[in-house]
Amino acid sequence: MDIIVCVKHVPETAEAEIKIDATGKAIEKTGLVFDINEWDDYALEEAVRIKEKFGGTVTAITVGPEDADSTLRKCLARGADKAIRLTDTRFEDSDGYAIAKILQSTIKSLPFDLILTGALAGDDGYTMVGPILAELLGISHATMVKKIELDDGVAKVNRELEGGLEEMVEVKMPMVLTVQTGINEPRYVSIMGIRKAMQKEIKVLGLADIGLSENDVGEAGSWIKIEKMFVPSVEKQAEFLKGTPEEVSAKIAEILRARGLI
Amino acid sequence: MKEIFVLAEHRQGQIRDIAFEMLTKGKELAEKTNMDLTAVLLGKDVKKHAKTLSEYAKKVLLIEDAKLENFNSEAYQKVLSNLIKEHKPLLTMIGHTSFGVDLAPSLAVDLNLPLATDCIDLEFENEALIVTRQMYGGKVNVRAKVRKSKSYIVTVRQATFAAQKPTMNGEIIETPSPLSEEITEKRFIEYVLPPPGGVDITAADVLIGIGRGIKDENNMPMVEELAKAFGGVLACSRPIVDKGWLPSDRQVGTSGKTVKPKVYIALGISGAFQHVLGMKNSDLIIAVNKDPNAPIFSFADYGIVDDLFKVVPALKGKIYELKGQKA
Amino acid sequence: MHFELNEEQKEIKRAIKEFCEKEFTPELALELDEKEEFPMELYKKAAKLGFTSMRIPQEYDGQGYGLLEDCIVVEEMCRVDPGLGAAVSLGNLMIPDVLLKHGNEEQKKKYIPPLARGDTISAAAFSEPEHGSDITRMDTTAVKSGNEWVINGSKEFITNAPVADIFIVLCQTDPNATPSHRGQSIFLVEKGTPGLEATKLKRKMGIKPCITGSLALSDVKAPETSLVGELNKGFYYALELFDETRIAVAAQAVGMSQGAFERAFQYAKTRKQFGAPIIKFQGISFKLADMAIKIEAARMLTYKAAWLFDQGRLDPMATSMAKAFAGRVAMEVTDEAIQIYGGYGYLADYHVERFHRCAKITEIYEGTTEMQKLTIINRLMKTM
Repeated sequence: MDIIVCVKHVPETAEAEIKIDATGKAIEKTGLVFDINEWDDYALEEAVRIKEKFGGTVTAITVGPEDADSTLRKCLARGADKAIRLTDTRFEDSDGYAIAKILQSTIKSLPFDLILTGALAGDDGYTMVGPILAELLGISHATMVKKIELDDGVAKVNRELEGGLEEMVEVKMPMVLTVQTGINEPRYVSIMGIRKAMQKEIKVLGLADIGLSENDVGEAGSWIKIEKMFVPSVEKQAEFLKGTPEEVSAKIAEILRARGLI
Repeated sequence: MKEIFVLAEHRQGQIRDIAFEMLTKGKELAEKTNMDLTAVLLGKDVKKHAKTLSEYAKKVLLIEDAKLENFNSEAYQKVLSNLIKEHKPLLTMIGHTSFGVDLAPSLAVDLNLPLATDCIDLEFENEALIVTRQMYGGKVNVRAKVRKSKSYIVTVRQATFAAQKPTMNGEIIETPSPLSEEITEKRFIEYVLPPPGGVDITAADVLIGIGRGIKDENNMPMVEELAKAFGGVLACSRPIVDKGWLPSDRQVGTSGKTVKPKVYIALGISGAFQHVLGMKNSDLIIAVNKDPNAPIFSFADYGIVDDLFKVVPALKGKIYELKGQKA
Repeated sequence: MHFELNEEQKEIKRAIKEFCEKEFTPELALELDEKEEFPMELYKKAAKLGFTSMRIPQEYDGQGYGLLEDCIVVEEMCRVDPGLGAAVSLGNLMIPDVLLKHGNEEQKKKYIPPLARGDTISAAAFSEPEHGSDITRMDTTAVKSGNEWVINGSKEFITNAPVADIFIVLCQTDPNATPSHRGQSIFLVEKGTPGLEATKLKRKMGIKPCITGSLALSDVKAPETSLVGELNKGFYYALELFDETRIAVAAQAVGMSQGAFERAFQYAKTRKQFGAPIIKFQGISFKLADMAIKIEAARMLTYKAAWLFDQGRLDPMATSMAKAFAGRVAMEVTDEAIQIYGGYGYLADYHVERFHRCAKITEIYEGTTEMQKLTIINRLMKTM
């Protein structure tokens, strides 16, 4: 089983304070820690587990700057066999559609049975790269996958629906599956893994190598062009309770008692 | 006359809320731009829904086919692709739901039309589509121009537009299904409900909602004790279920339950919309978070900017003190 | 000169950082600091990922890196938590090192791989109630009886003693040797050997998850095969070991300093007094700058000593300078961290007081600061 995992190198913003940069179209990146996109982390783990069960190879691919090597090395250290970084200044400002085209033009010449990627990326949240990639490659897909069972050319997958419900669908290989968080428990990078990863090469390809033109990528090749980025205005704001933990607790207790909740 | 399509999503015999939310927004857009609003309903034995939808749209396009009984992105893509080619709507609105994200991207590629996903607002400037969407987990908004086209596709975030009461009496137009053969590449098998746990969070008066800020499984007893002090129940946001610290039936939000307790105490929950949608209608919301800019504070009635590990023990003590009991 | 970690070392730093930040939780740190318990589960988890066997060759299930890479790991562990960091970084203390240099193949194969994998814990029993820094004479004796040795005596301040599976014990094998240190030998003793008893030393000032104990040996029988290396060479083997562990202790000190510094820095940015974050006051900000300078200097000395060791150019003076300086810096920086926190710093829940309590050990174990200074001055007297 040859598996390709598409990963993205993204800033961790869940617990960081975010500022808009001088262009007004992006966030200030200095000081932010970059790592593998959380959803892709689960996709990579799933790929490695499938490889460990059925044999084969795992190739990690990313579109991003040279810094994205740290995400690729993490993939290699966790069990990927090969890594490809697609880097070109003309790839900048690509939306999910342009990214999918860049990936497709690379992947089409590689052998694969299965492509895994995260259901979305924590930075732009497009939730589109996986199914677009599948459509461009002319293969099937399933998104928001929470469970994968592979059996002789088909996969039975559970897709997450709303309200705690899931649906089981059967998809024929080759296919693209986009993975939802919680599908597995991603492993830590081990020292043994790092040693192996350092012996593996990261292949770097640019626009010319993948046979696309300037108009296919970047802003020109995208569906979405960001005009302005801003911090959402707050319609309503909580009343902040101030003081020591004991003082604010006393206030909460009083509010609850006043409402007859205690 | 140009049209706006709204795909009416339904599951297990019910039209989903997102359909009415999009019809409301669609109506507003249609009126502003002088277009017709059309609901698109695909399925099997769904005529009764066509009637309901006709009260929200100028037209209802209905296609009945046994192959459309359950959602299947490949079947839906074929049918919708035909309809869009034929009617050339300026805009097709699809819910940013689990169904929508499985369908819209490949449909857009198939038709070579631009797609904007997870939109929280839409407007037209001379037939050019401008969308508002969020990035970085809802911490920033983006206003974006969609590549100029004669026809656009968008997916719309759930619970963003409030559905309004029906005002129309639209025409129902049934057309034959274009699907000639079975879809074999992708097949719906069954709905799967996760095994039920012992607790129904939707029935609780007091919910203690915990999120990423809990940091470690070892901290679970501390919040469980707080829930006990309140006589309430622990609920959580997605990361807690992903880590296996609570069963999935405790999850609040789009992929979990929608709750409306008398009080919801959010501990270490940043307030991503996926969670907020499941709890924002609680009677009283109190949030504790270290980050003063956490979005949860826009939904809470009371906010405490502090370390939850300091507030929780203090709060537990106060509750027992008020109840006149020992902890 | 090259003052940067290479890519591989950076990857190692990132991996151990991610592991510690997720696993060394403040709650676990507080709990084990209070209970004085060894974090066995955590240790095994770290070991399975290779973090505790950096310097053990791959053929013995280790990672085959050098002391510098080990220092990176130790520093990071102690940065995230000084107590858990000390405990996890000392789980297979000394036995792999002494066996690799002086053990026979059978001893290496038997003892090193399980230690490398984290299946067993080691303890090195050198110090005695009457002999701490001065180990030139041991009151613990090993007397040959037939084809085995009989050990009697007691050992004190032995790291891991109550949790260890395998011990090395430094004994006087020739009571008449002059000087006496020429009559010492090292024996391997397994847990459960009759006559061997370990007791936990409680209420240490710091590094409480790192369990220290006393060892009583009464007619403990050690077969001939348990002798490490040559008879009567034990003292020299022990001294060699300190050359390596001292550098690792310097790395612990650097990590503890960095951890306390980062906490104080974050606190100073958010704590407001007189209407401004306290970092805006030079009394605080200059303190932080001084802390950063000292830590960086200590780190450079430590990395240099480790690098020299890895080049096969062990320099006892560089080692002693690193340990003495890093230990002092750790005391000063953790002290200032508490000062920046003010009253909160005095509370366990705010963690910096634990860093201070833990830091003190780095000026004591594996050779006190005074012993380091002795090494430095002796070397200077010879060379200048």
